[in-house]
Amino acid sequence: MTSAARSRTGLKRWRKDYFGSPGAALMTLFSLAALGAILWVLVDWGLIRATFGAEGNQETCAAGGGACWSVIAVRWRVILFGIYPFEEQWRAALACGTVALVILLSCIPRLWSFGRLALIWTLGTALFYALMRGGVLGLAPVNEQQWGGLPLTLFVFVATGVIGMPLAIGLALLRRSDYPVIARVSGWIIDTIRSLPLLSILFTCAIVLPFMLPGFLIGEKLYRVVFGAALFFAAYQAEIIRGGFQGIPSGQEEAAKALGLSYWQRMGRIVLPQAFRLALPATINQFVIAFMETSLIVVVGFMELLAAGNTAFKTGDWKFAYAEVYVFIAAIYFTFVFGLSRYGAYLEARMNTGHAKD
Amino acid sequence: MDLTAPAIEITGLDKFYGSFHALKGIDLCVAKGEKVVICGPSGSGKSTLIRCINQLEEHDSGAIRVFGTALDDSLASLDEIRREVGMVFQQFNLFPHMTVLENCTLAPMLVRKTARAEAEAIAMRYLEKVRIPDQAQKYPGQLSGGQQQRVAIARALCMQPEILLFDEPTSALDPEMIAEVLDVMVTLAQEGMTMVCVTHEMGFARKVADRVIFMDKGEIVEEAAPEAFFTAPRSERTRLFLSQVLGH
Amino acid sequence: MAGSTFWRSKSVRGIVLQGGFLALIAAVVIGATLTARDTLAAQGLTSGFGFLRKATGWEMNFSLLPTTTSDPYWWYLLMGLMNTLFMGLVGLTGASVLGLIVGLMRSGRNPAARLLGTLYIELFRNLPLILQLFFWYAMANALPAPRQSLEIGGALVNARGIYLPGLAIGPGTVALALLAVASGACLAVWVLAARRFRRMEPQGQRRLSLAALGAGLALAAVTVLAGHEPGTAWTSWPALAGLKVDGGFRIQPEVYALAIAIMTYGAAYVGEIVRGGFKAVGRGQMEAAAALGLSPWQVFSRVRMPLAFRAMLPILINQYVWLIKATTLGIAVGFSDFFMVIASSINHSGQTFEFIAILMGGFLLINFSLAAVLNRLNRAIALKGHQTTGVQ
Repeated sequence: MTSAARSRTGLKRWRKDYFGSPGAALMTLFSLAALGAILWVLVDWGLIRATFGAEGNQETCAAGGGACWSVIAVRWRVILFGIYPFEEQWRAALACGTVALVILLSCIPRLWSFGRLALIWTLGTALFYALMRGGVLGLAPVNEQQWGGLPLTLFVFVATGVIGMPLAIGLALLRRSDYPVIARVSGWIIDTIRSLPLLSILFTCAIVLPFMLPGFLIGEKLYRVVFGAALFFAAYQAEIIRGGFQGIPSGQEEAAKALGLSYWQRMGRIVLPQAFRLALPATINQFVIAFMETSLIVVVGFMELLAAGNTAFKTGDWKFAYAEVYVFIAAIYFTFVFGLSRYGAYLEARMNTGHAKD
Repeated sequence: MDLTAPAIEITGLDKFYGSFHALKGIDLCVAKGEKVVICGPSGSGKSTLIRCINQLEEHDSGAIRVFGTALDDSLASLDEIRREVGMVFQQFNLFPHMTVLENCTLAPMLVRKTARAEAEAIAMRYLEKVRIPDQAQKYPGQLSGGQQQRVAIARALCMQPEILLFDEPTSALDPEMIAEVLDVMVTLAQEGMTMVCVTHEMGFARKVADRVIFMDKGEIVEEAAPEAFFTAPRSERTRLFLSQVLGH
Repeated sequence: MAGSTFWRSKSVRGIVLQGGFLALIAAVVIGATLTARDTLAAQGLTSGFGFLRKATGWEMNFSLLPTTTSDPYWWYLLMGLMNTLFMGLVGLTGASVLGLIVGLMRSGRNPAARLLGTLYIELFRNLPLILQLFFWYAMANALPAPRQSLEIGGALVNARGIYLPGLAIGPGTVALALLAVASGACLAVWVLAARRFRRMEPQGQRRLSLAALGAGLALAAVTVLAGHEPGTAWTSWPALAGLKVDGGFRIQPEVYALAIAIMTYGAAYVGEIVRGGFKAVGRGQMEAAAALGLSPWQVFSRVRMPLAFRAMLPILINQYVWLIKATTLGIAVGFSDFFMVIASSINHSGQTFEFIAILMGGFLLINFSLAAVLNRLNRAIALKGHQTTGVQ
């Protein structure tokens, strides 16, 4: 068959996909119209008729008829850093950079050993904390209550992961314990936490926990809330790790037992590494969800990214510009979440091809 | 449908997967009541060829006629042909959410608009023919591979087709189950069904085939009566293939 | 060494470890309870559930049945639970319908539709739900004031809510009528899907199903007729009366903002589950159906959809439980769901522990019963026997 004939069949197939039946044609027209409309609104509202620059205000923006990006130009520091002291905000920016670096480093497969990852995350968290809290290296101390915006969001996320992950491993190991009482009770704890809304756990930690703790354990509200988020994360992550355990052929642990390895050697060298490998895609997905759920702390009164955005347009003369502020915040979340989930998809594909070669 | 016309008439059939030329100008004619066995190495295009006959694969050029009805762009002729051409698959492809009986009555009731009682009577008749009437209320997942394939044959027969296509019907079966499926196929052949079978069961080919076709690299290399095909193959490629299949 | 052999005995170690584990948990629980009792005693609060009969003294801004400030706590809690279930039902239904559409677009052959579906999923799934909720709520509040209400086909839309024209009948009657319609619809689906009716002729089955639906509608109509007060107008149209809107059926901004947020967000997840379900259906089964002469619609409705549904149900169960929990976000915009009623009650009464216990009990009940119902459905439709090919 000639290439012309082949391109004719290509055309035939194309026509069949798009206009094969009245339904398909209708679907095509609807989809194209919707796509076009979305694109047009984005370009027209967001660029063509939009007002840029810090000197814009409600009148000039209304005259333009499009987006009023002036609100971002004027209020971006409030959105990004909340009520963190203005002169010290470079520290908050640096702290955000630290977290970004830690996350980027953890995405490099060569650094995937328990020791290296633990080192990176501990160092990163310590540096972040030193920068934000101050009081060392000649930095002025900044109280946790003044933390806000993106650094607070990132702090809650990182701390949730750093505390939640060991907790998750512990819970997962307890749940598959050979001792029936331990396994059963851990199962109940995990299932109960999972059936509660995260918001109710955060609320309990913020408001109720102080009643139940002896004075020396109460601490800052921020840390209690982070603990609640970590507990919730751990309950879900424990089930993901358990799924990883179930994917390991039983022969693996039997072989390790037959070789005379102790419980901790079996877990540390044979079972956990394989379980983590199997659970990796779901784990990344769980981290993505955990990142999005940091925004829930706005309900218990924290000034994280979303709440800082709310203040940015609810005060002053910017009440009309809610869409612009939310688009700006959404872009920040989207960049992070989309990037991480694409990375997860890439890893999954990489692992699948690895399996095919086995 | 013109039952006096040749059952299947294929001329100059071409099929591409991207730039891969899967079928290269195939010509084939099958008379009513004829049994044709197609064999050849994997990737030779034999499955693709019979899947073109009921348009599970769309061909790119050439013509296919079934009892004189041409497969063109019209959906009506496709419906007509699929009603008259039954197919049995390598992986059985029974519907796992329906009982054996429901698998057999689904198409007659939906496509031929047969009443349920009649469809069930027909189904039971064919289930008896494939020797598993006692399994009618079970689900496919509860049957062995051989039983599933016999149900699949009964399901195809329930549409009372003029032609049956078999796409490697015994390749997914354990050795001890192959015989029970082949027995059913031999019975069908003896009753005069028009059959096109892609299979490596050379014993079956020798026993029932009117004609054996050898395909390689998307072409028909050789076609002959089974006696001549097995004793005096003309082409070198056929000889090599036969030595590999029959060698052990 | 006697101690060492003692410790190395398997049964002894088992008892010690498990006993220690239980003792640790008991110590945490008892310690917390004792501390809490001391703290509360210092604040002059007594524990117990007697307060449930006390009047609340604050208002609930949305409830399906009427509430007043003199209603007791238990009534408020019940209304809060109903609000949660109501929002869950609306959200799950909307998310499922929209998700099915998006999922079908994503698994179809039409590239334009696929792109649109992908855009939808990537946008809604990759943004925090609460951000989306704030956005919809801000949008609802940015609508014009009541005096400049937008009028759309008899409905009024303004910053105070959406006012739909409605029947002039009481909320109880409406609930009963909706219940009748819903039961009719459920019965109709049951007739179409249940094993018991599979032996019927297809036409007869369809007729019986339609009859069930019709009966439900008829019952609803009778309910409405009976609930209507003679001599009053049949319909109630919203109309501007000074600074506010009179008549009609008002949907508050927090209600529809939350409903939209849960539907659109949930649909992105449901859409991915639907796509996964369709992907899990083996091509072989569809080819077999096509080879038997079934039309594309018959292949879809008799083979592809039933198999895909079985593949997606287990994951959908988790997603539904998750979405029900997401209704608690209502507190961020002031929708009085179960959690918000609890939170306000704690603020007003100080009976912290009792309310936290009720909160946990309530959600355990909702989630376990939802999961139990769906798991039962899952078992009922699960494929029988060992599956070799096709659906995993």
